[in-house]
Amino acid sequence: MAVEEADRDEVITPSRPLTGLEREAERLRPVEVQHPHALYREVLPGIIQAPADYLLAMARKSSLWPMTFGLACCAIEMMSAYMSHHDLDRFGIVPWASPRQADVMIVAGTVTKKMAPAVKLLYEQMPNPKWVVAMGACATNGGPYTRYDRVVQGVDKLIPVDVYVPGCPPRPEALMDGFIALQEKIMRDRGSIG
Amino acid sequence: MTSPHEGPQEAPIVPPPPGTIADLFQEVLPDVEFTATQGAGDVILIIARDDVPRVLRTAKDEPRLDLKYLRCLLGIDHMEGGLEVVYQLYSFTHGHGVTIKTRLPLDDPRVASATPIWKGADWLERETAEMFGITFEGHPNPVPLLLPDDLTDHHPLRKDNPFAQMEEWQGMRLGDEASKVGHIPAGYESIAGEGGEEDGG
Amino acid sequence: MATEVERELETLDINVNVGPQHPATHGVFRMVLTVSGEKVVDVVPHIGYMHRGAEKLSEGVDYRQGLIYQDRSEYLAQFNAEMCYCQAVEKLAGLEVPERAEYIRVILAELNRITSHYMFVGAFATDIGVYGTAFTYAFREREYIQEIFEAVSGDRMMYGYFRPGGVVWDVTDDFKDRVRWVCGQTRVGIDDIDRLLTKNEVFLSRSLDIGCISKEDAIDYGLSGPMLRASGLQFDLRRAEPYSIYDRFEFDIPTGSRGDVYDRYLVRMEEMRQSVRIVEQAIEQMPDGPIMPEKAPRRLRLPPGEVYMRTENPRGEYGIYLVSKGGEKPYRLKIRSSCLSNLTALKQMIVGHYVADAVVILGSVDIVLGEVDR
Repeated sequence: MAVEEADRDEVITPSRPLTGLEREAERLRPVEVQHPHALYREVLPGIIQAPADYLLAMARKSSLWPMTFGLACCAIEMMSAYMSHHDLDRFGIVPWASPRQADVMIVAGTVTKKMAPAVKLLYEQMPNPKWVVAMGACATNGGPYTRYDRVVQGVDKLIPVDVYVPGCPPRPEALMDGFIALQEKIMRDRGSIG
Repeated sequence: MTSPHEGPQEAPIVPPPPGTIADLFQEVLPDVEFTATQGAGDVILIIARDDVPRVLRTAKDEPRLDLKYLRCLLGIDHMEGGLEVVYQLYSFTHGHGVTIKTRLPLDDPRVASATPIWKGADWLERETAEMFGITFEGHPNPVPLLLPDDLTDHHPLRKDNPFAQMEEWQGMRLGDEASKVGHIPAGYESIAGEGGEEDGG
Repeated sequence: MATEVERELETLDINVNVGPQHPATHGVFRMVLTVSGEKVVDVVPHIGYMHRGAEKLSEGVDYRQGLIYQDRSEYLAQFNAEMCYCQAVEKLAGLEVPERAEYIRVILAELNRITSHYMFVGAFATDIGVYGTAFTYAFREREYIQEIFEAVSGDRMMYGYFRPGGVVWDVTDDFKDRVRWVCGQTRVGIDDIDRLLTKNEVFLSRSLDIGCISKEDAIDYGLSGPMLRASGLQFDLRRAEPYSIYDRFEFDIPTGSRGDVYDRYLVRMEEMRQSVRIVEQAIEQMPDGPIMPEKAPRRLRLPPGEVYMRTENPRGEYGIYLVSKGGEKPYRLKIRSSCLSNLTALKQMIVGHYVADAVVILGSVDIVLGEVDR
């Protein structure tokens, strides 16, 4: 009994006014420290087990860095999507000019036959894993310019495309929808990408 | 193939009212043959191909004309009528402008270059040359401007140059009724207009 | 004793390819700079990477459908391009545009000029090195105006709202209030960017006396728009050859004196303020009434003839040379591109400056590749 009482904190019920020393002791009493304890340490012994491709796919989809490849009018809507009104940065998407460090190539605009070798070269310069988003009607199948013989009727005649975003130009919300579809595709295909 | 019009009709030659820039040109160059007509906006002067360098040089240097600003340079393909080169000029000091045209025969499409006169004619002539196959004599740098260097076998803006084929639609084969250009799906005939594109797949 | 040591160094001129994919080339434009050390000795611009054949394709569609190619060729100032096209067709067809439609057209065209200049300021500041701040401001202000465009026409960018004869449908009821609000907001936005950039020392040192071009050269090369006005010639098509109802409004024409990059920036900033003035006057004067002429034909058949119609686009003089030989489709539609003519002077402006200035000068020309290549 005596031990328990000694363990408890002393509660002062003053029957006389406190002295200066006692008031100071009261003021300077340190806080009660509650040591944080991780729940998972009680549940799991400090190791999370998850499939590697799951983690890699989650990491890749959450920080897709597109190469700025705005060719034509769709580039303006792509820029609008990056800007503060329809922020794409909250998805982890940061526009990056160099193809060597980019994950995604957004082909925004018409690909002409003069530009085709440059498109292929840039695609080959990107390291794996890489994805391509064909933004707009022109990149999908030539768009309003499909009947001109100097226009490549869709960028999928040159490089493999993962997501097509239709529109002329597609709204920034449509581009966001395309990115979300790409993220779902990355998760779905996680077993097949290295 | 470009759709045939109901027979292309030329605009009638309407002589401009007196006091316009056509009279000024006639005064300054009395020995050059002009055909002056009043277009929808400006006065149009039609001259022969060989007079082109002299007329353009005079148009720029003569103080009464002072047409120092070359606004536009284009070519027109008139099929059997030959090719045509059009110059659109303007003067800031006098505030007047004129359109000068000249016809070139189909088998010999050469004309003197306007680049020595206006520096801005450089790129415009390059573009007209590659689009129509016109040779501008005296041009300092006659390489194609807009078309790729290795694909200049034909000239796109000539009328005998067809449009590209539309690629076949997903799931349909070329030759299917529904994949023909101008096909109207069942149930929509009432709101579709008559006509549409005459050229099919 | 003179200690002048002359050394002969063997140097090589390097070709630097500012390639078609580049963050600072405003689209697919390629220029090959020949540099000796850091100074540029020669510039060869290569264009045509966006050549999509708008002129050829316009010959295959009729006059109402041909409007879409105008939107997409000048994709930052669409209403101005549509206005030029519609006026060219109206001139040949002899259509009279009703008053209300004219006012709507002018208001939308001037607001579009403001958005286009905002885009210029954002991109130009990014080229100089501000990298993102002015760009974000500019896009925020553009969104306010684009909301009005979307409410009126249904699309954020490719409006297709003008028709030969008028506009396709009437504006919303709150149009006047929204436009008034956006005018006030634009003034605040312009002042924001002004405070950020105009007297900034780094901005000044990177843009004063860079890329000068004299008035005579500017006229010879065929420059137009803010480039010509910055070189000292006070010429604006809305004043000199008024089209639509521009002769009813009071506005000033800002003109530069040195013809350098800084003057072009100042001219465009001031033009934005003048556009706000025009919009405010127009919105007060806008009458009620029809927006298409009563006897507007369902299918437009134009008589044979030719016309060259020009408008003052944000980038210069945009012209349409329309050749009609009867029928419903144009025989030849030539687009006189303001940016193409402005680009011809690039070599003269860049040669002699440093490599870093080449990008700034290109930014000051304010090109839109869809218009250069069509």
